[in-house]
Amino acid sequence: MASKEEIFKELAEGVVEYEEDQVREAAQKALDEGIDALDAIMDGLAAGMEEVGRLYDSNEYFVPEVLMCADALYAGLDILRPHVPEEDAAGKGQVVIGTIQGDVHDIGKNLVKMMFDVGGFTVHDLGRDVPLENFVKEQLRTDSEIVAMSAMMTTTMLGMKKVIAMIKEKNPDVAIMLGGAPVTKDVVDLFGADGYAESAGNAVSEGIKMIGRLRELRQKEKQS
Amino acid sequence: MAELNPKERVARLFRREAIDTMPCFSGMGMVTIQAIREMGIRFAQVHTSAENLAGSAIKSAELFGFDSVVIPYDMGTLAEALGRGISLYDQSEDILYPTVPEKWGDLDEVEVPDNYLSNARMPMVDEGFGILNSKSNNGQFAVGAWVLGPFTFAGQVIELDLLLKGVKKDKERVEAFLTKMTDITIEVAKHYQSLGVDYMTVREMGSGTDLLSPRMWKTLIKPNLERIFAALESPTINHICGSTDMIVEMMNDCGADAVSVDQKNNMAESRKKLGNDTIILGNFDPYGTLCQMEASEVEAVIKKCIDDGVDAVWPGCDLWPDVKDENVKAYVRTVKEYGKKASPAVGRLT
Repeated sequence: MASKEEIFKELAEGVVEYEEDQVREAAQKALDEGIDALDAIMDGLAAGMEEVGRLYDSNEYFVPEVLMCADALYAGLDILRPHVPEEDAAGKGQVVIGTIQGDVHDIGKNLVKMMFDVGGFTVHDLGRDVPLENFVKEQLRTDSEIVAMSAMMTTTMLGMKKVIAMIKEKNPDVAIMLGGAPVTKDVVDLFGADGYAESAGNAVSEGIKMIGRLRELRQKEKQS
Repeated sequence: MAELNPKERVARLFRREAIDTMPCFSGMGMVTIQAIREMGIRFAQVHTSAENLAGSAIKSAELFGFDSVVIPYDMGTLAEALGRGISLYDQSEDILYPTVPEKWGDLDEVEVPDNYLSNARMPMVDEGFGILNSKSNNGQFAVGAWVLGPFTFAGQVIELDLLLKGVKKDKERVEAFLTKMTDITIEVAKHYQSLGVDYMTVREMGSGTDLLSPRMWKTLIKPNLERIFAALESPTINHICGSTDMIVEMMNDCGADAVSVDQKNNMAESRKKLGNDTIILGNFDPYGTLCQMEASEVEAVIKKCIDDGVDAVWPGCDLWPDVKDENVKAYVRTVKEYGKKASPAVGRLT
């Protein structure tokens, strides 16, 4: 019988080595052994993704590797997530996410989405090339706390400004996150958004750091 | 000192012959909203008519004193000709570039039609080059064309994440697919050269180290670029945007006449790595410099590019059309005045 720590290690290593089958097996094993599913997500899958972030920051991994690690993480998440108790999953919040009209690049968006999925958010993914008003409609329909938009190219970035104005007009409390290659701190300030990630690469680093913070919070919650 | 016309100036620069002053030009789109407004049309209308396409390039160059005219503006012409469709956003009042809506979902689905050079908007682009050539007979402009590099083009017609994961998991098939995309790139670039363009930029923009490792670049990207530049006539430019510091030397080994990089590149270091014989073009942020900054700040940005060692100041990407009038004027003025001194690879007429 594998110990809890061994199973967490198998999950983490499976993510780092992008071994989807290993992650699936370890996730199933975690459930069979009666391990808390959220613990397995946070201390197994998310811990592995944190290591991926470190490898990315040190130029050992690049985006192809990170995408495969993300696939491995989802292989585990698909098995574990349905077993997270309602009271743990609820209250994490909802996010509307998509790439802006005119932009068909969605790698960065998908990596940020992964971060929300790991964090237990309910994600409303609008996909790519999304007409501006659809962000507003979906936020109103779902009453999501966060709207995350991505634009890979300068040529589509300006659409974000309009969406932010439309959403803030209707609901000033919504947090707006922007991502994409042309998005800088100046742009975020200028457009009135609340946070940003400047590239798929930056989304990897920042998204994974946020996963790290979620893990820390969970540790504190468990200790208190 | 003899004053050269733009066509001569650009041609001599690529031959590394002495010129009068640095040309203000680019290998990528330089269309401006001022030109579009003056023509009484919307941005969405420039992509579907040869007259509007060529006319807006010429009008932009005339308004601001650019040495070049470059078409087309959007990256979807070839993908559309391969049957992938096009979203033109033609009802939009905003500046939205056309995009490709229907990518192939899998490598097995890829089927390249024989007649793609005469499909969709390809003949319209040819006609546009015809107009540009006829208007620049007197040397008023250098006519530039560009194609996407095979990896970037592949990302237009197939899901990029499939491609990126495929290079690890399905290497042989991905390489065969990229070979096919390289053949297409060569055919299109040669076709544009046959129409009489003055220089050809190959934009392998999606291959910087933001996405790929230097090792993967060397094995997956470089051989295809080498084959392209060997097949084309001079002058050619190898352009990559994003992070290029780790691959700039390999870029220079691909056989193009010049290397072009964007603002993420450490230009002073690149000049040291490549030496003074290589023509390097770059590397200011077009959106930040021409759309956001105060006009008074532009001169310093352009001067820094020149001081860091570029042979011509190139924007890192297409100009975002909604430029500030005064900023573009400051950019052009600084290039022409501060560019009177010799650059590392190109001397000046005395």
